[in-house]
Amino acid sequence: MSGRRIVVTSGKGGVGKTTTTANLGAALAKRGRRVALVDADIGLRNLDLVLGVEKRIVFDLVEVVEGRCQLKQALIRDKRFENLWILPAAQTRDKDAVTEAQFLRLTSDLAENHDFVLIDCPAGIEAGFRNAVAGAQEAIVVTTPEVSAIRDADRVIGKLRERKVPFRLLVNRIRPEMVRSGEMMSVEDVCEVLTSDLLGYVPDDEEIIDTTNRGEPIVLDPTKRLGVIYDRIARRLEGEKVEFSKLEEPGFLNRILAGWRG
Amino acid sequence: MEGLTHVQTVNQDAVVTTDAEQPKGRAIVITSGKGGVGKTTTTANVGAALAARGLSVALVDADVGLRNLDIVLGLESRVRYHLLDVLENKVSLEDALIRDKRSPNMSLLAASQTREKDDVDTEKMRLLVERLRAQFDWVLIDCPAGIEAGFRNAVVGAQSAIIVCTPEVSSVRDSDRVVGLLPRDLEPRLIVNRLRPHLVRRGKMLSVEDVNAILRLPLLGVVADEPEVVVATNRGEPISLDPKSQTGSAYRSIAARLCGEHIPIERPRVSFFARLGTLFGGR
Repeated sequence: MSGRRIVVTSGKGGVGKTTTTANLGAALAKRGRRVALVDADIGLRNLDLVLGVEKRIVFDLVEVVEGRCQLKQALIRDKRFENLWILPAAQTRDKDAVTEAQFLRLTSDLAENHDFVLIDCPAGIEAGFRNAVAGAQEAIVVTTPEVSAIRDADRVIGKLRERKVPFRLLVNRIRPEMVRSGEMMSVEDVCEVLTSDLLGYVPDDEEIIDTTNRGEPIVLDPTKRLGVIYDRIARRLEGEKVEFSKLEEPGFLNRILAGWRG
Repeated sequence: MEGLTHVQTVNQDAVVTTDAEQPKGRAIVITSGKGGVGKTTTTANVGAALAARGLSVALVDADVGLRNLDIVLGLESRVRYHLLDVLENKVSLEDALIRDKRSPNMSLLAASQTREKDDVDTEKMRLLVERLRAQFDWVLIDCPAGIEAGFRNAVVGAQSAIIVCTPEVSSVRDSDRVVGLLPRDLEPRLIVNRLRPHLVRRGKMLSVEDVNAILRLPLLGVVADEPEVVVATNRGEPISLDPKSQTGSAYRSIAARLCGEHIPIERPRVSFFARLGTLFGGR
């Protein structure tokens, strides 16, 4: 078996790469797929925090690459999703500690035992980015509807095209009431500016701040709107035809508030 | 050249008086480790607030390859030369500095968009910041995310540091890492950004105290998460110039504190709409 190796990238930091990686991974695992999540942000790891496994780290990615432990020793199995594994980044090393070839080898090894290998890319377009992309066959570009995030996404897309890595967009943190009042770009605008295909979009929801701080993927809770949305994105990633939902529509209260504010 | 003449005039009026040959200005790097926490927005707004106090300010975008400070200031159409052109002696510093539209005593040195961070020579960067300090009262350096080459080059010329951190565990952890990597003498101070007071009140977000229990840094300011910041940023207009905005006032206080004024840290209050939302949300 050889699983799909997908890098989650963005250029700009803080647009939700790690949250996307964790929740998409959890959604895929929930659907019965074997999923490995790789934190490529050496020196500034965070995927372990978002998944609440920070206290269970024994070995890390750099130690695997340097042959100081076996891959399976470094993989941490999630306690809630038995099909989900996490390979943490080293916290006290530099991004230069790993080469592109080593990264490709590592993710290829993981793909032998997993249906999906999701690589959480660091911000920027330096060595860390090159490593993460070298390990992937395809990409998810996460962006938010802000000019600066879109410009950085455009730069990253250019680099992906150079490397012939196919990609789709995930537009994160949409605030529908601001789109409606013309204060924020719409998902369509973003796709048009970046001339890219859409994998999905996620509304800005305060709920995610809390679940992320607690280290629990929101996908865990079937009553949560964002959980349903990530599940739909996961199905789309698997090739299912899932219509873009109306879930982004603001609730009753938001509509009233938007009216008052406007 | 006209821009430079103006800058010098402003310098003469400024309160700082030192030997003309010594750099008199102060260089501050704005950093965070984690991306997207508001470094660029902070740089633009604190810079504009300092300029509004009559001080001369140079903003340096150190994010080579992924520049954004020009957009936040609405100057993107006026970028002709950039940081690497200056470092590589292709143009003079004066030619590369872009004077701000609204704040005539503030200038931007844009980053190159089509180059890599590894192209920057660290020693030349240090000398450049020193030159800027000779011409401006304040030099604010907008650091890229991460702790790679871009971070090292942004830090090299700075004399002090501002850490921008959001009330999220990942941002706190990255800030902590960056503080450990900064040279000791930079004496970092903390801005807690994007605080949502109503979430803190419900125990759904870390408080300023929670953040600083880990980081233990002198607090420079607290800025609330308000949609008006996004709107202002998309328009390329610093919100610190809006006298009616509470967020703008938070940035103006930060500028005042940088200038040595003792102003108590004002805490963002829970707004009426947020309280209403809490009520209806029933949480």
